[in-house]
Amino acid sequence: MTELGDQGVQIIAISPDPNEKSQELAQKLRARYRFLADRDLAVTRRYGLLHAHGGHKGQDVARPTTIVLDRHGIVRWLQLADSIQIRPDPTDVARAVRQLPQ
Amino acid sequence: MIRYWPALVSVLLSVAAIAGYTTLLRVPSIRNHPELYLVAFAVAAVIAGAATWRAARWPNFVALALSAVLLILGGYFNFVLAKIPPASSVLRVGEPAPDFTLPDASGAPVSLASFRERTPVVLVFYRGAW
Repeated sequence: MTELGDQGVQIIAISPDPNEKSQELAQKLRARYRFLADRDLAVTRRYGLLHAHGGHKGQDVARPTTIVLDRHGIVRWLQLADSIQIRPDPTDVARAVRQLPQ
Repeated sequence: MIRYWPALVSVLLSVAAIAGYTTLLRVPSIRNHPELYLVAFAVAAVIAGAATWRAARWPNFVALALSAVLLILGGYFNFVLAKIPPASSVLRVGEPAPDFTLPDASGAPVSLASFRERTPVVLVFYRGAW
């Protein structure tokens, strides 16, 4: 995913995690992520990406989803996981970014 | 002991499938194909089943029981526990993503619209590290 940062793309990661926790994660991964906290999952819900009771304690979580937006904010590529085991392949995301119209 | 090599192969195959999947979890092609360990468990069960059919001895039974339990538990996890119920996402390719404003790590509000006409954005929704 770090190669995406080199392509001049802003990566925004959204979860219900509190900010301190996400910051720890970012440092651990040395990732160029901008972590945003959606504590009450309002944005996740608005996007239709709520996985109700999907957390390991039965709490609501987000469905793992990756969305590539072009510079006009239009959705150009989208991966919605149908299983909690699935994570986006960075190669696919990088390809989608490369194919964005300039 | 030599005559129990199919049972041994069966057990080793199951163990290797678990060890391989967990150690290679960071490799997308492994992580995103959890059905591979089910295939390994199924092959292990077939080998142990054939061995039990030929000689109904305890090592063969143990191998058969182990691979059968792993196949059932793994299948239950993959097809039931890990499944996310289908929901209607509002996102459509070719349409704009709804705007939002959320606090970043320092608490400063960040809006999606602030990147518009400036840079492409990869939005990642994730389950959280808990």
